[in-house]
Amino acid sequence: MSKTDDDMLREKIAKILGNGLETQTEPFPEDHNQFDEVLRELRQLPSDDLEGKLVVSGFVDHPYGDEQQRCLECMYYLVHRRWCDLPELAVPVEPEWWCRLWRI
Amino acid sequence: MANLLWLQGGACSGNTMSFLNAEEPSACDLVTDFGINVLWHPSLGMELGDNLQQLLRKCISGEIKLDIFVFEGTVVNAPNGTGEWNRFAGRPMRDWVRELSDAADFVVAIGDCATWGGIPATAPNPSESQGLQFLKRGHGGYLGAEFKSKAGLPVINIPGCPAHPDWVTQILVAVATGRAGDLALDEFQRPKTFFQSFTQTGCTRNMHFAYKVSATEFGQRKGCLFYDLGCRGPMTHSPCNRILWNRVSSKTRAGMPCMGCTEPEFPFFDLAPGTVFKTQTVMGVPKELPEGVDKTGYIKLTGAAKAAAPAWAEQDIFVV
Repeated sequence: MSKTDDDMLREKIAKILGNGLETQTEPFPEDHNQFDEVLRELRQLPSDDLEGKLVVSGFVDHPYGDEQQRCLECMYYLVHRRWCDLPELAVPVEPEWWCRLWRI
Repeated sequence: MANLLWLQGGACSGNTMSFLNAEEPSACDLVTDFGINVLWHPSLGMELGDNLQQLLRKCISGEIKLDIFVFEGTVVNAPNGTGEWNRFAGRPMRDWVRELSDAADFVVAIGDCATWGGIPATAPNPSESQGLQFLKRGHGGYLGAEFKSKAGLPVINIPGCPAHPDWVTQILVAVATGRAGDLALDEFQRPKTFFQSFTQTGCTRNMHFAYKVSATEFGQRKGCLFYDLGCRGPMTHSPCNRILWNRVSSKTRAGMPCMGCTEPEFPFFDLAPGTVFKTQTVMGVPKELPEGVDKTGYIKLTGAAKAAAPAWAEQDIFVV
């Protein structure tokens, strides 16, 4: 089966994260206002600034925190498409990844 | 024949517009089929000036039997508890409300403003508004917690912004035809027949709720509106998805979050910026969970639901 654009982009993101990109995992937005602040930062980025998105949203390629949170449980995660459906991110992801815009 | 009098206090007339659009039964059916005699209504009444004052005084004295007193809008007490900001027929409306409520067999509050203060009573409440027997969640309101109408019932509250037309006419018919005794009221004096279930009951997005797939923008066909867009359907008592609006739809079916307008706290969070149409969270978990669900259970359910979600749950699907 040929790779889709989503697959290729997911692999690219995995490589970027695997190479040790430093992202802003903290502070975790405690409430909606802080969450909105992160979204505002994301909206100000150029639409093709993939690394910028990953940095601002605090992406990591593994579960995170005491509760080992991961994309798999996040409400923005589409299981079958392996996709983050938050409009400000809208990127292919892996279920074991995480970012600070995690919500359930 | 049951005499009905309808007055408006601090109101936008939204509930009158809703009432006049009723279909099952219609406002006309109340008169022609159910024996309701509308003594006066702000949009239908013929009397003006002295004639109206005389009519109201006759209702108070008992010369005209007042079977049902309907009130729409808040009781305005400003300035300084005088009620002078809302004068009607020569005196503060609140004075008419007190005396007519004491004279009526049944008192019915229509809409959020009359039930618990609604938008006018939102802080800082410059009009010093109150509902008839509640101020927000607090029991008491203008008439006091102990108030009972002549028939022995407290104020019958039909909340909503506006109330659905058929909730109004069906309750009026029940009262007018001697079936008020069949009305079971909840702790906020809402008829249980309408307000025991949730807005979510009958929502066509329940499958998305079950599989934890979120709508992330208004009008999306897929996804539940609770997770991100502030829908209060799982916490709000109303039959909006059982008794449809205009017979065909509801907010959630159209991709619009429920705002919880049948609950005493409406408008929630005093309309603070960032609180409308946005689910409030604490550390990524909704601050308010569906009624009866605890945080631990919710987190466990989310993991299981996501893992079990079928592919179609993530795709556009007609929910209207």
